[in-house]
Amino acid sequence: MTPVCHSLYKIYKQHNNPSNLYFDPKMASSGAQYESDDGMDEFMDKFKTQRYKNAFPEEGWEEPLKRLTPKKYPELACLQAIIHDEDRPPEEQAKSLKDEGNEYFKEKNYQKAILSYTAGLKKKCGDQELDTVLLTNRAAAHFYLGNMRSALNDAAAAKKIKPDHLKALIRGAQCCIELRIFAEAMQWCDEGLKAHPTDKKLLELRAAADKHKRAAERDARKVKAKEKKLHGQKETLLAAIQDRGIKLLQSVKPPRRGSDSEDEDKGSSAAISQLSLDDLSSQEVTGAQVFLDEQGSLHWPVLFLYPEHQQSDFISAFCENTS
Amino acid sequence: MLSDSEAAELLSFLSPGMRADVKAQATEYFLGLSGHRDGCRFLRSKPDILAGLFALTSDISIAIVKDCYFIFINLSADETLHQVLVGDVKVLPGLLKNLIDPEFMFSDQICTILSNLTRHEKTCKTVFKVIQEEVGLAQVVEIFCTEGYNKNAKLHYLGPLLSNLTQLPEARNYILDKDRCVVQRLLSFTQFQASVVRRGGVIGTLRNCCFDHAHHEWLLSDAVDILPFLLLPLAGPEELTEEENDGLPVDLQYLPEDKKREEDPDIRKMLLETLLLLTATKAGRQTLKDKNVYPIMREFHNWEKDIHVTAACEKLVQVLIGDEPEEGMENLMELEIPEDVEEKLKVADAKEEQELEKEQERLRQEEEEEKKKKSDAEGTDKEQEDGLVR
Repeated sequence: MTPVCHSLYKIYKQHNNPSNLYFDPKMASSGAQYESDDGMDEFMDKFKTQRYKNAFPEEGWEEPLKRLTPKKYPELACLQAIIHDEDRPPEEQAKSLKDEGNEYFKEKNYQKAILSYTAGLKKKCGDQELDTVLLTNRAAAHFYLGNMRSALNDAAAAKKIKPDHLKALIRGAQCCIELRIFAEAMQWCDEGLKAHPTDKKLLELRAAADKHKRAAERDARKVKAKEKKLHGQKETLLAAIQDRGIKLLQSVKPPRRGSDSEDEDKGSSAAISQLSLDDLSSQEVTGAQVFLDEQGSLHWPVLFLYPEHQQSDFISAFCENTS
Repeated sequence: MLSDSEAAELLSFLSPGMRADVKAQATEYFLGLSGHRDGCRFLRSKPDILAGLFALTSDISIAIVKDCYFIFINLSADETLHQVLVGDVKVLPGLLKNLIDPEFMFSDQICTILSNLTRHEKTCKTVFKVIQEEVGLAQVVEIFCTEGYNKNAKLHYLGPLLSNLTQLPEARNYILDKDRCVVQRLLSFTQFQASVVRRGGVIGTLRNCCFDHAHHEWLLSDAVDILPFLLLPLAGPEELTEEENDGLPVDLQYLPEDKKREEDPDIRKMLLETLLLLTATKAGRQTLKDKNVYPIMREFHNWEKDIHVTAACEKLVQVLIGDEPEEGMENLMELEIPEDVEEKLKVADAKEEQELEKEQERLRQEEEEEKKKKSDAEGTDKEQEDGLVR
């Protein structure tokens, strides 16, 4: 049974159970109640073997469910009125919604859990403890769905109401780690440790966030170092070409400012920045490029054209020193 | 010094109800007195004057309060006054209460006083006890690690305070509590550029903590990961081979070209001593060898000019590249050194110190001679010039 069915069934049973009088004391002595109880059990037992014919499809159940409105089905309206009786005080309503959400959560039905928690929060019942729990639980549901940003927002909102709420603090830190914002993760942990200095989970998360943060910093340094090396190589190459007094034809460059131009603006001399290596790279599949070898000689890809013989020859690396 | 009647008169000038200018003049006088040793010694015998001055630290005139704090800084610098300050005048509770106030204007002065009071073990014990009773060491560390806690004070001198406190095993145990996050919060300060006092204090704290070899494994594990924070100030921009680089801790890989080493030689020496302490156990030695500490030390040795620091570096390198000690001698802190060997080692240490001093003197003299030669040369040039002009 789905959680909704189960809770409806529980309420049904409750209202019809002689020992749990709610409506009419007189009904207790009537034998008819026992019969209808048995009837309900038999009715429900049928579903163990029979498949319900009008079941919603597994995929795309949302549409048929939307059509199941209280307007069309007054029975549903009755049942809903029982559960969500507007006359009940808001704290009670919010609490029922929290319980409902928790049930969905246990069944791993995180979408529905989020809806219940949201409805609970809408009640604005004024019970801060309850609101904190609703937000923290909704954060958890978002977390398991992979909605890290929403989860983080909910955890932050919970923390705002109750700054030492341990579950919210832990959840917030976890979200930050998933989002790879490690410095913020550490802030959450440090805040948490102020209120709960010996919490093992917080200590663990802090150590993990710190490790990731430092690894990410190393990765950034590595990228920068490689870029710098590459740029340095390009500069030496361009300098070598310029030294030999070779002019490079500048094609009409489209207005895109690639990383090449940025680097060159930053460091290179004005002369070099007018040259561009892009034009030198071959459009061929071979991708041959000009390069400078260890002895300081340039190697050029060369295309020989023999129009008389209607032939061409492509040499990918022609050392400038060969005759 | 002052006669008894003069002292009594001045004491009366310190009472809170006195006119502001009278109080101010009296405190100024005592400030001058506290500036030299005889004055301090005199005040040591007058606890009621000291109590009067301490009471004025709550005065409404900021100028008076400031002078009083400076008096106590001077007094606390003299070890012989510690007992009377802490025992008779009972300055500690008041100082600590103001320390945790984020608005208090003279917290830096308080930190200096506390740092002075904890230099020697006896008073240090008392201070630690009172700290635990009044505010708790946790709060002191919290304040130290919170940037901008007090907008009127930098609180850098809490660094040396912590360093001094960790001469006590009780304080070390608190900092090294595995179930809390205390020592981890101090680590990032080993590279705090803005204050050499704070940096030195933290590194001193870490060094003291490494005297307990039982904690080494935990300190070197991922839970704390102390090693990179000790190595970073000693690492430079030099490029290492691919192989050496890969073995390094993550924080030391791909350091930028403009990486600067720690400027203060005393701090560099402390870092090396801390690393040396971590080689006491077999596991520690193995970890340092595995994490490629040796290449860092090799480059550092090439760069270092101060001979005392170089000596410390060489000691560390010896352990890193030397053979493992024989069985039963693996924990260098638990060795039993026979008396005669200990004597020989003491003599050797003293001799080494002497030789370092001689070397330093020699280098100094060389420098002087160079300078002299240069100025002589410039002198002759000038004479020639003058000659030409004439």
